[in-house]
Amino acid sequence: MIEINQLTKTFTSQDGTPVHALGGVDLTVNDNEFLTLLGPSGCGKTTMLKMIAGLQGWDGGTITIDGKAVTGPGPDRSMVFQNFALLPWATVMDNVCFGLRLRGTERRAREERAQELIEMVGLSGFESKRPGELSGGMQQRVGIARALAVDPQILLMDEPFGAVDEQTRRLLQEELLSIWERNRLTVVFVTHSMEEAVLLGDRVVLMSARPGQISEIVEVPLARPRSSDVGGLERSREYTEITAHLWDQLRSMHSEHRAVEAVR
Amino acid sequence: MTSLTHEPERSARPAMLNRLDSPLTYQILTFALFAIGWQIYGTFFGGLLVPTFTETVAALVPTLVSAEFWEAFVVSNQALVLGFAAAVAIGVPTGIVLGRFRTLERLSNVYLNILLVTPMAAIIPLLVMSVGFGLLSRVILVTLFAVVMIIVNVRAGIRQVDPSLIQMARTFGAGEAQIWREILLPGALPSIMTGIRLGLGRAVTGMVIVELLMVSLALGGLILEYRGSFNGPALYAVIVAIIAEALVLISAAQWLERRIAPWAPSAGKARS
Amino acid sequence: MTAIAQSTTPRTSRSVPRFRLGGVGMSALSLTLGVLAWELVGRVFALPFFPPFTVVVGTLMEMIGRGDIVGNLAVSLSNLVAGFTISLVIGIVVGTAMGRYWRVRAALGVYVYALLTAPSLVFAPIFFSIFGAGQGSIIAVVVMYSTFVMIINTASAVQNVPAAMLEMGRSYGASEWQLVTRVIVPAALPTMLAGIRLGMGRAVLGMINGEMFIAVTGLGRLVTQAGKSFDGAAVLAVLIVIIVVALGAVGLVQMVDRALTGWVPDTSKEKS
Ligand SMILES: Nc1ncnc2c1ncn2[C@@H]1O[C@H](COP(=O)(O)OP(=O)(O)OP(=O)(O)O)[C@@H](O)[C@H]1O
Ligand SMILES: [Mg+2]
Repeated sequence: MIEINQLTKTFTSQDGTPVHALGGVDLTVNDNEFLTLLGPSGCGKTTMLKMIAGLQGWDGGTITIDGKAVTGPGPDRSMVFQNFALLPWATVMDNVCFGLRLRGTERRAREERAQELIEMVGLSGFESKRPGELSGGMQQRVGIARALAVDPQILLMDEPFGAVDEQTRRLLQEELLSIWERNRLTVVFVTHSMEEAVLLGDRVVLMSARPGQISEIVEVPLARPRSSDVGGLERSREYTEITAHLWDQLRSMHSEHRAVEAVR
Repeated sequence: MTSLTHEPERSARPAMLNRLDSPLTYQILTFALFAIGWQIYGTFFGGLLVPTFTETVAALVPTLVSAEFWEAFVVSNQALVLGFAAAVAIGVPTGIVLGRFRTLERLSNVYLNILLVTPMAAIIPLLVMSVGFGLLSRVILVTLFAVVMIIVNVRAGIRQVDPSLIQMARTFGAGEAQIWREILLPGALPSIMTGIRLGLGRAVTGMVIVELLMVSLALGGLILEYRGSFNGPALYAVIVAIIAEALVLISAAQWLERRIAPWAPSAGKARS
Repeated sequence: MTAIAQSTTPRTSRSVPRFRLGGVGMSALSLTLGVLAWELVGRVFALPFFPPFTVVVGTLMEMIGRGDIVGNLAVSLSNLVAGFTISLVIGIVVGTAMGRYWRVRAALGVYVYALLTAPSLVFAPIFFSIFGAGQGSIIAVVVMYSTFVMIINTASAVQNVPAAMLEMGRSYGASEWQLVTRVIVPAALPTMLAGIRLGMGRAVLGMINGEMFIAVTGLGRLVTQAGKSFDGAAVLAVLIVIIVVALGAVGLVQMVDRALTGWVPDTSKEKS
């Protein structure tokens, strides 16, 4: 269980003005929950995710995982990056092995494990290709396989499908669902897309900007497993209602923001 | 773009002409025009020191088999090899340190910028005054020519490494040493190789300059000697040989660069 | 790279904004430290080839007073301006043609690369034999040094103009001439200017090296002369002038660059 308490962070921008990235966030992520974080650009989603990952410091508040305070990255968490963050000089196999290698897993064992995951994400036959030879969707499959290879309890994903085309994105969503349904780990998934947030999440956390705060948490009552009938889900009344509600909220945030800008 | 502009006209012409309309044809054509132009100039306006193309080619053979040439070649390349090795040994670690430590980088930046544009040849008199005309001063000059290029490229390579790769490694618990070994050094490798290639080019330049401007010996010495004795063909032959050596060395470095860092976006960008 | 500089462990204390020097301030600080160190080393070790900074400045003043500097500087600058102007014209015209027409690229590409790679000063004896011991030879050396970088950068800039932009131009009925002058050259300008900056840097090298080789006029000859009379202070004094010329020349191109390419967003501007 991830518990976030009164988390605050203020950055100083280049010109010296303070940027209130997070203004007192409280959030609890349950074990084996798929939580999606949705909000306008600049509301602090990435910042918060990096804090959970232990990559970024904060000013006030606490983050604990199963009662232990986060002080840095740990083997219980791994992260999938929007820009994939693959090593361009390494093959698919070596990229997937990367985390295991850093942790000192012996070669045979890590390649076996990597092979399993490469098969799971449907990249068999591409083991010795380099990232430059793969499409965006394939590259992110490598990113997901790499994150899962180390057997994390928590998977942190920052707009993992933000840089791929719409069709690939839908395929990857379905794949992620079916992977998650098989081994339910805790996922915190940042996205810009209301549809994606609802389709994937057990709960959608809606954030507002300046300072970044949680404005609403929406339960998604859609039944699981969802991967088998994504199309049906998307036509269901609940799905339509929740996405419409989220858009109403987001749109009012955007117009509020515009009003504030206008007053300035 | 190119294919678009010439494809349509191609199909409209007979096959024989099509085969002639190829890059190689134009390449050869340029060389032929150049050789003919040179020949005409050499024949009618050449005077004592400008041989014709054919004279130069004819002189190339005896020059390349003469003991005199090869002795000079060995002496020249001694300074090149030692000086270039020193430049790599100094430049790569220095570049890495500067790429890593922001304050050092900011302090040294102004000097690197000055050194990049300063004609190193101008310090030749100081070199002669301090270490004389020996092998050491030639080696030092070659090193000075090459080292700045290497430092600048290595530094850029370290600084260009995608920060998200470092974060990624951190999420897997990588420590500082692992980040260096797994991310920073492989990430900087293409730039390190580029720096080494460009540094090699500069080292060859240094080798030639030191012999032309400082100590008239070895290959540079031969040039000056042939010039003094108005032996035009031999003079030109030595120049051609030096250019050939430079091209061979640089091509080898380029090949090595592609071999060692094949993932890098096309090696061989124009920078010097 | 800022990412590595950050500490790994999340801090609970608020990070205090620290006093930071800008690039100019840092350079000034660094130069001051360098001059102090120079002075100190010069005084402590009293090496004939490394006199202290104040002595060098004194010598420089003396030389200016004697009229040694101004005349030679003027000659050097005229060599630089003449050579660079010729290179610039050749660079832009040939580079644009190479970038736009594949036949020109095929005909010239290899040779331009070869000439860029070859140590340019080996051509000095050739120019000497054609133009004699005068300014003509020095200007030819300058041209040899600076033309090819500009050609190659211009060619790759022109070749990399997005096809969509050309199609846009053609869709409005632009002729070939209009396409080149209104679309291609402006679009290629930022990269071209990067090449022109490199060309200017190399032109200064060619100027000094040429003047040192064909020692009849200019700052290059002044350095050689000072070295021959074992006057370390005079060598360093001229070197300072040379560095100022080099930085000034490159700075001038940078100013023109900034004035002409203000429209390019900062993030996409080529850093070097
Ligand atoms: N290192 C930093 N220095 C200064 N400001 C920062 C820094 N990192 C983030 N910020 C600011 O903090 C705010 C939140 O940034 P963050 O990247 O978390 O937003 P986000 O919700 O992920 O946005 P997006 O949806 O665009 O990715 C933004 O206003 C951003 O400009
Ligand atoms: Mg973000």
